[in-house]
Amino acid sequence: MQRDLAEALATLERVILGKPRQLRLCIACLLARGHLLIEDVPGVGKTTLAHALARVFGLGWNRVQFTSDLLPADIVGVSVFDRATQQFEFRKGPVFTQLLLADEVNRASPRTQSALLEAMEERQVSADGQTYVLPEPFFVVATQNPKEQLGTFALPESQLDRFLMRVELGYPDAAHERELLRSGERRDLLERVPAHLDSVRVCQVQQLVRRVHVADALFDYLQRLLRATRERADVKLGLSPRAGQGLLRAAQSWALLAGREAVLPEDVQAVFPSVAAHRLLRRDPAAAADPGEFARELLRAVPVDA
Amino acid sequence: MTDRPAELRPLLWSTGVLLAAVALHVDRLPPWCTLVILGLAGWRLVLALRGRAPPGAVPRTAIGVLLLVSVAYQFSGVSGLAGGSALLAGMGALKLLETRSRRDHFVVIGVSLFLVLAACLDRQALPRLPLYVAVTWLVCTAMAIVGTPQVPLAARAATSLAGRALALSLPVAIALFVFFPRVQGQVWALPGSGAGVTGLSNEMSPGAISELTTAYDPAFRARFSGRPPPARELYWRGPVLQNFDGYTWRREPRSIYRQSPLRYLGTGYRYRITLEPHQRNWWFALDLPVASPDREVRFTWDYMLVSLQPVRQPVSYEARSHTVVRATEPLTPLQRRLALQLPPGRNPRSVALGRALRAQVADDAAFVQALLALFRDGGYAYTLTPPKLDLDSVDDFLFNTRRGFCGHYASAFATLARAAGLPARVVTGYQGGEWNPIGAYFIVRQSDAHAWAEVWLEERGWTRIDPTAVVAPERLDRGFFEALPGAVSTTDRMLREIGWLADARLAWDTLNTWWKDEVVEFDLGSQLSLLSRLGFDSPRLSQLGALLAGAVLAWLGWILLRFGRMERRRDADALARAWRRLGERLAAAGAGREAAEGPVDYAARLRATRPVLGERVGPLLEQYARLRYGPAPAAGEVAAFARAVRALALRESD
Repeated sequence: MQRDLAEALATLERVILGKPRQLRLCIACLLARGHLLIEDVPGVGKTTLAHALARVFGLGWNRVQFTSDLLPADIVGVSVFDRATQQFEFRKGPVFTQLLLADEVNRASPRTQSALLEAMEERQVSADGQTYVLPEPFFVVATQNPKEQLGTFALPESQLDRFLMRVELGYPDAAHERELLRSGERRDLLERVPAHLDSVRVCQVQQLVRRVHVADALFDYLQRLLRATRERADVKLGLSPRAGQGLLRAAQSWALLAGREAVLPEDVQAVFPSVAAHRLLRRDPAAAADPGEFARELLRAVPVDA
Repeated sequence: MTDRPAELRPLLWSTGVLLAAVALHVDRLPPWCTLVILGLAGWRLVLALRGRAPPGAVPRTAIGVLLLVSVAYQFSGVSGLAGGSALLAGMGALKLLETRSRRDHFVVIGVSLFLVLAACLDRQALPRLPLYVAVTWLVCTAMAIVGTPQVPLAARAATSLAGRALALSLPVAIALFVFFPRVQGQVWALPGSGAGVTGLSNEMSPGAISELTTAYDPAFRARFSGRPPPARELYWRGPVLQNFDGYTWRREPRSIYRQSPLRYLGTGYRYRITLEPHQRNWWFALDLPVASPDREVRFTWDYMLVSLQPVRQPVSYEARSHTVVRATEPLTPLQRRLALQLPPGRNPRSVALGRALRAQVADDAAFVQALLALFRDGGYAYTLTPPKLDLDSVDDFLFNTRRGFCGHYASAFATLARAAGLPARVVTGYQGGEWNPIGAYFIVRQSDAHAWAEVWLEERGWTRIDPTAVVAPERLDRGFFEALPGAVSTTDRMLREIGWLADARLAWDTLNTWWKDEVVEFDLGSQLSLLSRLGFDSPRLSQLGALLAGAVLAWLGWILLRFGRMERRRDADALARAWRRLGERLAAAGAGREAAEGPVDYAARLRATRPVLGERVGPLLEQYARLRYGPAPAAGEVAAFARAVRALALRESD
């Protein structure tokens, strides 16, 4: 299992060049049963990443390009009248998949966004009084473009809480960009990517993550960290208990990826910026430029030992 | 192999507790045995202090064989409690000579616990209880100290740990005590020591005694349900003596006689007697018991209670008595002959006197009165220090010395009666008893031992006549102490006469009696009655067993959980201390950790920035991460980490 995960990571690194840390976070997020928000400018490989993830983990995937006229039914599905049977029949929407890439999620109307977010949270869809369970695993990779503000509806903080992690890809460094330019189209490469796991094994690994040992000492540290986010004067809204659960799950996932049987403070610290940055609501929006940097500063202020 | 100081500590403790446990037996052990044990322990300690190796296998085996043979010789075998304890104590001391590992110390400690157990089997007196508890506690403390060599436990911490462990085990002990199915009969009845025979014997030679011991030890206690009889009626019947050779009265050994049927008159008394062990076969009852209180006890033809086994442990029994009885049939010829038997040619003057006195009166009743008048008016005195008598003891007493105690008067009375053809015998037992108002029972002591006479009167049957009563009436009314000033030691007198001391003594006796009745004597009967009070009527053995096992298992589980938690907390503390120490050392070496830095990141940073130092402490830091954040560490891992940290020497140049 450990070897499969390592190989999956290696394969992803061949596709997405120079971003090992982000890739690891993405996998951790998947294994922690969370959903992922990738925030970045277009053209850095968000779609390629989602596609590669689906391939490597052997998951079925769908892609929905969010636009301002996208309706909830376009995502969850719609009931149509079947003349032959004289009955309404539910046509499942693209959400019925294992990995859903919701591209540029901030372009859709809040109504459509909330339909997606509800499906993410509930892992099921209700239509016409019927409940349809989504497949397992169910992993949403949503992207949004922070620089483009015109005609978009930025996700409110309460909705951001539904994403376990927010990851920024960023531009590749010079060496990797050179290699990218040299090797040509990534999509061709994608076709040849082997599947290292399948949906059943992904579910098994997700179960394993829950069993990674968490010592009392680590709970202490985690709680100190959560308290620190709530007690700071420059934070309007600290981390919620749900965020705390997510942080723990993500840290467990990270520890599993590192081949450890117990969570260390380092694991918490590794995932903390990605888990916390988009949830921390600061008093002065203009204060610090980079929310990730702010999260790291918070980490430095909390001692590992009581 | 030499002992380092660290290994001296367990040795000192195991030696100490062994000696403490041996001390419980010291008055039972032969002196040579105690000396050998002390010698072996001293030898081991000297060797350890000088860092020398203990003796080899050959001398040890030789000592062991010698010890075994000596003990077997001394106690003629090693199966008895005393012999077994002596052997165990000696072997425990010998084991000290080969204590190297923790396991060896545990063996010595186990031996010590067994010695405490043996002491409990030997003696269960209440005053010894604190002693047993103290030694057990000490032994458990040693166990705690020996059992945790990596984390040297301070003596105080070990004491408190042992105390808590013992306190936790108390409910189990109580449950086992109360609910463990008692086997009828004494499971623990081991061959007794045979020493210390006290109480009445089966013969009486008043002439041979020049000083009566005034033993103050209790013989038994009697608790009446209902009103107790008046003090004058408190005659506790013991051995009946019928054979007289002119000097010594003995029990009739043959049991060819039949018990004469009796009619019990007057009020009956119900009471419970708790009899102290006296190594003889008789049980005592108020004159005259109605029936045998126990299947194992015979109610003999001369109305004695004789048990099949000598009384070696305290026994407690319910008895019923009537103080007024009548015979319904005439004395059988066989019994009459026995009760008239006198040694031919002995005590001739007494025999003549008896016959002469009988000739002066009309009937037996008047003759008895005449004999009593003789004792009352004949210039006789009661004393506990009578002169010795010659072989015709009754003649010597009646006509020469005229001073004696109950035995003299009973003997003389019976002889005179027999001479005159009136069937008579001597009854020994106890008279009176001290009333304990706190516990509402009588304490009958060895000093209350008494002898009186019984004569056969037609129409009445055997009738108790106490000639001592006419000589020293106060002996009956007020008991022995008032009767004879100076006969008792000052301490005993003080105990009786100083008010609060007397109260304290009675209170203590009450407590002691409770302890004996309710704890030491807790048997199947008491168990069943307690269970029925708790609502278990006629419980089946299997149910009882299941109940007990379930309760004990649950309790043990709880203890395990608790101790596990305690252990983890202690480990966590030790780990935190070692971690702080490591942090201080690294900071002193100029490579301090940042507060928000995890141990593994720290190790990685040190490896990158201070390669030499990083290589040395990296594994330690990673071990710490495992211990602190991993699943529960194995026993000793934390201690090993602490040791490694202590052993770490760092220089700034690393």
